[in-house]
Amino acid sequence: MSLLAPLLLIGLIGLGLPLIAHLRGHREPRTIRFAGHRFLAAEGEVLSQRRHLRDRLLLALRVLLLALLVLALSRPASRHEAALAVLGEPHDAILLVDGSRSMELRSEASGQSLFAATRGAAAAIAEALPPGSRLGLIGSDPALPRLDPSADPRAALGALQARVDAGPPRPGSWRLRDRLAAASALSQADDGRTKVIYALSDRTSGGLASLPNTTADGLAILPIAVAFDAATGALEGTRGHPAHLGIASASWEPAPEIDPRAMRIRAELRSYAAADEDHRRPVSVALRVSGELVAQVELEVADGATVPLEITYSAADQRGPLAATLELVADGEPLVDPLPSDDRRHLWLAADERLTVTLVNGEPSERRSHDEVFFLATALAHRADETEPSAGRIALRNLAPDQLEAQIRARGAEALAETDVLVLANTAAPAENVAAAIRERVDAGMGLWLTVGERIDAEAYNRRLGELLPLLLREAVLAGTAPGRSTAAGEGFAPANLDHPALRGERDDLGLLGARARRIFLLEPDPDRPHEVALTYQSGAPTLLTRDYGRGRVALLTTSVDRDWSDMPLRPGFVPLALRTVSYLGDRASQSGAHNLLVGEVWSTGLPGPLTVVTPSGRRIALRPDDDGVHRLTDTYELGHYRVERGPPGAPGAPSPLLFTVNVDPAESETLPLDIKAPPIAGDRVFAAAHIPRWRPLFGLAALALLVESLLRARSRRRRRDGLVDG
Amino acid sequence: MHSDSGNALAAVLPPALRDLLRGRALTLERPVWGQRAGRHLSARAGLGHLFRAHRPYVAGDDPRLLDWRAMARRDRPMLRQTEGEDELSLCALVDLSGTMAYGEGETSKRRTAAAMVAALAHLALRQGDRFGFATGGDGALGLAHLRPSASASRLGALAAALSEGELRGLCPWRELVSGAAPRLPRRALVVAVSDFLDPCPPTRGAAPEVEATAGPRAELANVSAEEELWGAFAGLRARGHDVVLLQVLHPDEIDPPWRGDEFLRILDPKGSRSSIKGTANALKRRYQARFAAHQRALTRHCEATGIHLLRVRSDAPLEEALLDLLARLSGLTPSSSTGSSAATTQPKKTPKKTPKKTPKRPRRGPP
Repeated sequence: MSLLAPLLLIGLIGLGLPLIAHLRGHREPRTIRFAGHRFLAAEGEVLSQRRHLRDRLLLALRVLLLALLVLALSRPASRHEAALAVLGEPHDAILLVDGSRSMELRSEASGQSLFAATRGAAAAIAEALPPGSRLGLIGSDPALPRLDPSADPRAALGALQARVDAGPPRPGSWRLRDRLAAASALSQADDGRTKVIYALSDRTSGGLASLPNTTADGLAILPIAVAFDAATGALEGTRGHPAHLGIASASWEPAPEIDPRAMRIRAELRSYAAADEDHRRPVSVALRVSGELVAQVELEVADGATVPLEITYSAADQRGPLAATLELVADGEPLVDPLPSDDRRHLWLAADERLTVTLVNGEPSERRSHDEVFFLATALAHRADETEPSAGRIALRNLAPDQLEAQIRARGAEALAETDVLVLANTAAPAENVAAAIRERVDAGMGLWLTVGERIDAEAYNRRLGELLPLLLREAVLAGTAPGRSTAAGEGFAPANLDHPALRGERDDLGLLGARARRIFLLEPDPDRPHEVALTYQSGAPTLLTRDYGRGRVALLTTSVDRDWSDMPLRPGFVPLALRTVSYLGDRASQSGAHNLLVGEVWSTGLPGPLTVVTPSGRRIALRPDDDGVHRLTDTYELGHYRVERGPPGAPGAPSPLLFTVNVDPAESETLPLDIKAPPIAGDRVFAAAHIPRWRPLFGLAALALLVESLLRARSRRRRRDGLVDG
Repeated sequence: MHSDSGNALAAVLPPALRDLLRGRALTLERPVWGQRAGRHLSARAGLGHLFRAHRPYVAGDDPRLLDWRAMARRDRPMLRQTEGEDELSLCALVDLSGTMAYGEGETSKRRTAAAMVAALAHLALRQGDRFGFATGGDGALGLAHLRPSASASRLGALAAALSEGELRGLCPWRELVSGAAPRLPRRALVVAVSDFLDPCPPTRGAAPEVEATAGPRAELANVSAEEELWGAFAGLRARGHDVVLLQVLHPDEIDPPWRGDEFLRILDPKGSRSSIKGTANALKRRYQARFAAHQRALTRHCEATGIHLLRVRSDAPLEEALLDLLARLSGLTPSSSTGSSAATTQPKKTPKKTPKKTPKRPRRGPP
């Protein structure tokens, strides 16, 4: 609690006034010595006590009244640590409202969501703004209303209110950081006014934690943590934050060792709460296939824990792809959860799905541990039966480089027709015709993974497969001789980029943080060449890069996939990295397999049209190819199972439809608040605290005291007129 | 008359009053019982001129008193008796408490009381009666001059007692009456002079429980003490004394001159009660009601016990009051069948304009 006008407390000196008034106003009576005194006493004594009491009460009331008035005029306001701060001068305030799914989090007590509480925070800012300021509005979700700064704050507040009333935020992996440019561009008129972005969000990695202190063009960003119970919340601490459960990931693979049509569905159940082993919460996970409940698993999830889950399901009588949904339930009903949107996850199941991976071993060895692809093959087949390596979802095929060349020479690109992912492991640059066949297959949807080693000739590779490479190869160097390094120490691996589509959903450092590379391949930087980096060394040099080529994908590992150049294969993270990379590369190749998208991601295919997308709600969207012949679906904000029908509707013999699912981004489920430091106040800007006014109740109390004082005074007058006083 | 006592008497007895007393006599309606011959009809046979009765002669009687005619009629020696004439013993009990100091100049209650007592004493001594007085003031009794004396110096003592010293404290009336009663000669004329408004106030310290509690309990104790006092006066009357209560009141005490919303603090002149604050109107309303009740009660008591009650306003002409008193004592003034009377002398001037009657307010409790 603080006072906005503390100087007015000087008025408390005035508290002496009623005292003086009571002393001076106390009329000095005329004293008479009177023999009939006796006839005046008796009843007066009781009255006199009342009179004394009343006078003191009146005095106390008047002092209280004056104190309340002085206190109210000094404008007390609560100034919590989390009190939002606004710029002290008139400026353009742009409310950047977080519309991400994590704002859907509901208070367990009131049921109000953070998104709804944004209104209160916005209203508090509008009230705290200095006169002459203007208020604009923009959201992290582009569908949120966007208003240029206006002198009338009701426009922005009204638009926000209308949006909140319309429903919960739309899932879509919206990050505040991505909208900063749009927010700073909201008021382009250079009228000399200061502009400040007030970010209203939760304290999550996609919310306030993703924000820098200023935008690229220098606008100040003030984080306002939205809380349930007040207009603003603290920027630190997790007290009172609701915990929720969610299905963080879900995948499936065939389980032929059980049944030819059996599938093993794996999921991760996560409790988004502060870790507490002692607090466990029972929950059930239901598996529905084609709308029917086929399995239900009872679990206990400790706070902050991640619980793996495995359900085996055999689609004995069902053919073709199956729409499956994993759902959190309690007592047969959907779980009542503060954040319900991640309580469901969708999958397309296909009993006969296989991913064929062809490993081209550039450096075979009789000793298995020295074989170039030993670790990779082991990782990919880690769940397969040793006696029947093809039993898993991934079917491995080993080839020597000359075998590949011979097959391609014989059959052309068709030799790779059954290959979904081709891995060239430390293979010398392929011949021209082989390279052409590979390019053709990648363009048609095949995945290509290049790993380097002693046999890699950068120049030859750049010449033959340079068109496919994410970046051109330069040369292999010892890690110690890399630019900026003076010692011959190994190059450590940096934390993986979990935003990369291939690794999305993985946690922490992927288990590769301790890995070191003794030798790495340097690449030619080329900003014009589209590529994505999934893994880097600590020096910043890329380790694993991917790019899309035509309908297929290409990955490049800049160190060997065996132990020759690095110890990466010995690290526990190697297995998920290999599986993830192969699955990512093979996604495009699989025609009947499901493609799992996160909400908001663009689905695309290079297959010829016409294509019609049937959304989970039954809406049909006819896709039109782009100039490059690729069909793209951008409106993937509806969660569930999508079908893409090929050929004209109703035409006989139409090929099987393409399938994909859209699920929520688990990153948006992370609602546990992070501690955020308020930005430092720079320059000569004065940041005045915005206070929650507390003086209004004081005025009410003062009015009440005035009323009581009036009543007492009237009563006192009447008594004095009627009554006697004993001195 | 002694010159000193004369000067002192002049201080308390106005010359006009003294002139008025010339040729007047203090006579009583009832016979007296004096030690010596006087001019008042005695309750016993004596050597007077008025025939009283005949009685048979017994040995030892003065043969000069034989009535021969009666002896002839009755055929036996008869003695002729005449009414005796005795002196009168006048005893004054004077209140010298603080309440008697009220009033200034000619309206002073002290002056009125002193003049009345001095006039009676002067009259009595002049006609050969005895006079004694006792005072009560400042909580103490003055009984030194209680035994009646025919000496003229008693007047000087009276004048000194009434005119000197500051009046304060209370007059212990009950002690005064009980102290004086055994010392009174037979069939004396007892004149008690006071305002009798609060003759028995609570004594500070003497009855702490009463003082501390105040309120109705204290008032009840007060009334009880007063009843005792009235009983003591009635006892005097029962012993054959003529008792006169001379109630000297200041006009302010009959009709307090308090008006409007003026804030007053009323002190008890006797210092026995706590001061009272209040507005003039409220105080006056309360006072008038209770004062009237008190006066009625006093009158009723005097009538019941055969005590003369004479009310004297301190602003009224003393001559009238004195003549009225003399007339009442001698039985010339018509009075009630009980022989007691209660009258108030009228003020010197014509009555003031009747104050506006304030609308009566409903009283919240019994007065």
